[in-house]
Amino acid sequence: MSQDRFQQLISFYRKHKRMPSYGELVKLFGLKSKSPAYKFTAKLLDQGLIGKDASGRLLPTAIFSELPILGTVAAGWPSPAEEEISNTMNLDDYLIRNKEATYLFKVKGDSMSGAGIMDGDMALVERGRQAKDGDIVLAEIDREWTLKYFRKRNGKVYLEAANKKYGLIYPNEELKVAAVLVSVIRKYKF
Amino acid sequence: MSHISSFPRAIIHIDGDAFFASCEQARNPKLQGKPVITGKERGIAASISYEAKALGITRGMSLHEIKKTCPGVVMLPSDYETYSLLSKRFFMIVRRYTPEVEEYSIDECFADITGMRRTLQMGYPEIAESIKRDLDAALGFTFSVGLGVNKSIAKLGSKWKKPSGLTIIPYQNIPTYLEKLPAVKIWGIGSNTASFLERHRIFTALHFARKHWDWIKTNLSKPFQEIWRELNGEYVFQLETEPKTNYYTIGKTKTFTPPSRDRKYVFSQLSKNIENACIKARRYNLAASGVAFYLRQQDFRHTGLELKLSRLTAIPADLIKLADEHFDEFFYSKTEYRATSVILLGLQEDETAQLDLFGDAIKMTEKKKLYEAVDAVNKKYGKHKLYLASSFLANKYSQHLGDRGDIPERKQNMFLGETKRRRLGIPMFSGE
Repeated sequence: MSQDRFQQLISFYRKHKRMPSYGELVKLFGLKSKSPAYKFTAKLLDQGLIGKDASGRLLPTAIFSELPILGTVAAGWPSPAEEEISNTMNLDDYLIRNKEATYLFKVKGDSMSGAGIMDGDMALVERGRQAKDGDIVLAEIDREWTLKYFRKRNGKVYLEAANKKYGLIYPNEELKVAAVLVSVIRKYKF
Repeated sequence: MSHISSFPRAIIHIDGDAFFASCEQARNPKLQGKPVITGKERGIAASISYEAKALGITRGMSLHEIKKTCPGVVMLPSDYETYSLLSKRFFMIVRRYTPEVEEYSIDECFADITGMRRTLQMGYPEIAESIKRDLDAALGFTFSVGLGVNKSIAKLGSKWKKPSGLTIIPYQNIPTYLEKLPAVKIWGIGSNTASFLERHRIFTALHFARKHWDWIKTNLSKPFQEIWRELNGEYVFQLETEPKTNYYTIGKTKTFTPPSRDRKYVFSQLSKNIENACIKARRYNLAASGVAFYLRQQDFRHTGLELKLSRLTAIPADLIKLADEHFDEFFYSKTEYRATSVILLGLQEDETAQLDLFGDAIKMTEKKKLYEAVDAVNKKYGKHKLYLASSFLANKYSQHLGDRGDIPERKQNMFLGETKRRRLGIPMFSGE
C-alpha cells in the first residue's frame, strides 16, 4: 500500500516537477484528512527517501529523478532502421499533395518545352487549387485543355507558353483554370 | 414539454449528379454543356447528363431511339474503371469528416456526423456544406446533399433540389417537406404500396406520417412501419459502415456484339464470366455451394439452369466442367444469343480441407494452390493474363465489335509501361 503511494508521489513529481503540498497529498491518495498524509511522509523522512526544507515543505531526493535499475541485460547496438524508416515517404506522397483531387494529364505539343515539359510527359495536376502567378496550370481554351504558365498582371490574367513560338493567350471571358500542375513524370524504361 | 434539438442525430445523404455522365464531362471540356449519355456498349442510356435529360432522354432508352429523336447526343462507352476511381475518391473525401460512412452505391453515400461539431468546429449545416464544397472542387462536378435526423429524411433532402442542391431539414421542419412529397416518392415505397395507400386517401408523405400508428401496424408490414417511424423523426435505419465483403451471391453478366449462334463462342463467353465470378469469390475468400447459368437471347428472353454443388468451390474448372455437361440443356443451336451470365450461389467462407467421402479434399488443396498462383500472376501482370482455354474465343476478340465496340479513351491513351489490362489508378483528363 505505502509502496503504491510512494510510486504515486514519484509520478506527481515527474509530472509537476515539484513535490506536492499536504493538501495535494490528501487528494492524490484519496484521503479524508491530512493526518495519514503526515504519517506517510514522516515514514519516508525516516527512511531518507524524501527531505524537508526549513519551512516544512517536502523535498525530493535523488531517487525521484532516476529510473530505478532492476538489472542489466547484454544487448547489441540498437538498429536505427525501424525509427529511420518512419521518416521516409513513398513516391506517391512525394509527387501528390491532395490525393483525392489529383489527376493525370498527358502533355501534348512543345509549348512548355522551355519549362522542361515535353510531349507525352505525364503531368499530375490538382483540381480546385487556387492558381498563383507563375504556377503552371491546366486551363480550358476553346474546349481544349492546355498546359501553360498562369500570369496575373495588374488584375489581368493570361496564359503564357514556355516556348517563343507561341504568343500570350488572353481569355475572351473568364479564364477557366481546371487544375494546377504539381509534378511531371517521364519514364524512360520499364 | 422538453426541448427537442434540430438534429438529435445528424445524417447526411450525398448523391453524385448524373454521376457517370458527369465523370465524362468533368474530364473533357468538349463534352461540357452538351447532352451526353454513357452505356454505349450496352446499347442503352445508363447515365444521362442534365443537358440530355432536358431533351427528354430517360434511363434505359435505346441508342437507336436516342439517335432517331435527338441526333446531337454524344454517346460514350462506359469507363467503369474511371467511375470507380472517382467513386472511391468521393467516399474518401466524406471520410475526412467522419469515419461513419455507408457506401450505398457507386454514386451515393450516407454519413453520420452526429457529435462531430466540436471536432470539426462547425455546425451540422456547415459540415454538410463543407463536404459538398470539397467534393465539387476535387471531382470537378456537382453533388446534391441532404441533411436530416435519419437516413430517410437525409435521402429526401438530397433529392429535394438537384443538381447541386444542399437541403437542410431540421427536426421541426420535417412536416413542411413531407407535405410536398407524393407518397410514391418516399424512399422504400414502390408503386404497389403507393396505390394501396392512395386507396386509403394517403397521397402525400405527410398524410402517411400523420396516420395513426395502430392503423400502420395493422395494415402494413415491418419495413413500412419503419419508414413511418423515420418520417416521424425517429432514427431507425442504421448505417452499414462496414465495407461490403459479405456476398451471398456473385453474378457476372456480359453482353457481346454482334449476337452469336456459335456454340463454341457463346460457351467461351460463359466460361469467361465463370472465371471472373470465381476471381471475385476468391478475392473475398468465398466459395459457392450452387451455381446458375443463363443465356440471353436477342429478344431479351433467357434460358438457364441452376445446379447444386456437392462441395464448395471457387475453382472455375469445376464450374466450367458442369456448364459443359449441361450446356445443351439451355443452349439452342438456331437461336442467337447476346449475353451470358453466371451466378455463384450460397457463398460461404472458404475454409476448405472439408473432407469428403472420396478424398477429394487433397485434390482440392492442390487446385487451390494452383489458383493462388494464377491470381498472383494476374495480380502482377494484369487481369486475364492467364485464363482457361475454354475462354479463349471470348478473350480473343473485343467484347463488342462494330459501333458498340468503342473502347473508353483511357484504355487507348496510355503511358509507357501501362497496358490494356493495368493502368495507373489515377483518373485522367482527356479531350481528344
